[in-house]
Amino acid sequence: MHDIFTVMSFTMKDMLKRKSFIISTIIILVLIVVGFNVPNIISSFEGDGISEKILIVDQNDIFEGNLELLKNSDLGYDFIIENDNYEQIKEKIENNDIDSAIIIAKENNDIKMTYVVETVDITTIIPEDIMTSLNSLYTNIQINKLGLTLEQIEAITPNFLTELEQVSDEEAQGDVFVIMLISIVLFYAIYFCAYQVSSSITTEKTSKIIETLVTSTSPRNIVIGKTLGIGLVGLVQLILIVLTAYISAKTFIDPELLNQVLDMSNLTIYLGIITIIYFILGYGTYAFLYALTGSTVSKPEDIQQANAPVAILSMVGFYLSYFTMMNPTSNLNVFASLFPLSSPFCMPFRVMMGLSSPATVLLSIVILIITILVIAKVTIKIYSSAILNYGTKMSFKDILAIYKDKRK
Amino acid sequence: MGLILKNVSKSFGNKKVVDNISFTLDKPGVFGLLGTNGAGKTTTIRMLLGIITMDSGEITWNKEKVDRKRVNFGYLPEERGVYPKVKIYDQLMYFAQLKGMDKEKASKAIDNWAKKLKVSEYLQMTAEKLSKGNQQKIQFMTAIIHDPELVVLDEPFSGLDPVNTEIVKNIIIDLVKRGKYVIMSAHQMATIEEFCSDILILNKGKTVLQGNLKDIKNTYSDNRVIIDVDKEIDDLIDEEGLVIEHVNDNQYTVKINSSEQAHKLLANIIKKKIKVNKFEIMKPTLNDIFIEKVGE
Repeated sequence: MHDIFTVMSFTMKDMLKRKSFIISTIIILVLIVVGFNVPNIISSFEGDGISEKILIVDQNDIFEGNLELLKNSDLGYDFIIENDNYEQIKEKIENNDIDSAIIIAKENNDIKMTYVVETVDITTIIPEDIMTSLNSLYTNIQINKLGLTLEQIEAITPNFLTELEQVSDEEAQGDVFVIMLISIVLFYAIYFCAYQVSSSITTEKTSKIIETLVTSTSPRNIVIGKTLGIGLVGLVQLILIVLTAYISAKTFIDPELLNQVLDMSNLTIYLGIITIIYFILGYGTYAFLYALTGSTVSKPEDIQQANAPVAILSMVGFYLSYFTMMNPTSNLNVFASLFPLSSPFCMPFRVMMGLSSPATVLLSIVILIITILVIAKVTIKIYSSAILNYGTKMSFKDILAIYKDKRK
Repeated sequence: MGLILKNVSKSFGNKKVVDNISFTLDKPGVFGLLGTNGAGKTTTIRMLLGIITMDSGEITWNKEKVDRKRVNFGYLPEERGVYPKVKIYDQLMYFAQLKGMDKEKASKAIDNWAKKLKVSEYLQMTAEKLSKGNQQKIQFMTAIIHDPELVVLDEPFSGLDPVNTEIVKNIIIDLVKRGKYVIMSAHQMATIEEFCSDILILNKGKTVLQGNLKDIKNTYSDNRVIIDVDKEIDDLIDEEGLVIEHVNDNQYTVKINSSEQAHKLLANIIKKKIKVNKFEIMKPTLNDIFIEKVGE
């Protein structure tokens, strides 16, 4: 236990002192803060309270002088209604008196709208909300001309009510966007932390320190200590990221807008604990797998190739969980929440949706723990032999031979 | 008391890399483990320290199985390594703690050994900034910092300059004086002759020679004479039918089959009234014995 703690604390200090770790953490945190400030930054560029000035020219009086009504709308634009010709409009745009203009004119039996802007890009179209308002205004003008009664107007205006119902008892609740966000963050956190274990083991091999290390403590202590050390640093980094995101969201985003985009009501303490448990167990599963692959290479350039099978497994686990989230009550999603390679990304989602009972969560955790123990046992056995192989990258056959040899 | 290896063997696949070797270290001193590259020295050391398992045989230290829990050993591996980005002090502290030392004792030991090995000024530097020789001294410190009973040194002098070689030699001599058991593998035969009382020569995993170095050398007859004279004696050597092995500034090393041949040559030199500064009949060096035993 003393040696595990010593290896763990050395690994943590080593990671925390690494410039690459410090810089990448700072970059992530800055990006989060900047990301949550994007709406504020955009509005500061647009100027405080200054709306886009749009000139509307009704050349043939199609709207019969009613365009002034647009000025009372809450669309957020500053409408100017005048009868300028094209040259005058052009001059106004060039002098920045207006941002754009809409010219409305009759063309045969149609009404043509020309949108005039300074420069056209692929996204330039007449704003949809303005089109809707013009449409609605024109329809009202025409309806009024028909002299319809209020009842007749109501009769031709549809008022559809929509409702969603399901026949099964299971009911999915919660904000899918938040859940998917958690799932993605969890995947990347687990993946990158576990990858560090592989990289750390290969570094010890390439720097040839490993032989001194294995005569100082057992391979078991090295693998467990290293995995714990990197995991704890990763957990602290994850908590830091989540806290920064939470504080940034609360500080920089308008609470009403935040509630519209992210429904935080599902983020309970229970879900927080479950997420941390699955981070730890998911990390444990992948970290031991990466420890195994890391011990089979002796040159840094081989590490990506050796890690590819584990990377593929993690992708399969993640996408199995991610795609079955679209249909959370399906059997495949239940399987994904129990299968140890996908359950760390899937179960927190099911818990948040209120689809998993505590017994199912417990079963999933037990499966994960058993998986970790089995992988750790195999990894430690192979690690203790493979780390002294300084030759070429070991094949799957070599790894299997070592495992069989060690079982004797 | 001591270390006993009995009929130890190890194969990798179909290749037997260590074949039934046995030796004993029953008193403090330096034991020389010799062999060409790939002879099985490192595998023997790794089995001895429990890093890899042996296929058959027995290895005991004071009648107990050797492993890191039971035996306080120190090891300088052939494959040198340090953590390049970690401060020297931190990595020495790490290994000292893994060897069971508390922080206070480890700190004192680091300062003490750093002074002896003249590396105190590097303790707060990262390893990547040190020369290869200084990195090796740091590794040597890692092997002995916890005051081990059994010290295994695989090529301890390779890469060291003469000044640092002398520093490490003196420390090894000091370790033996303090009752430590040292196993040393080296390619410099002169160093082995200087240190080791007992040796074992391995060739392709098999023991080809072992025993007390003095006893081994006594079984060989005199095979060369060194004569330092003040003028050339090539013709006299030629007259006796002897072969010059090496000559430098009238110091001759001449191959002989018996001491009588050397004495006869000396008599002829004196008869010619040539001044003799040095005359030494020698037994074969360990280097000669090694080449004889393992040379293809």
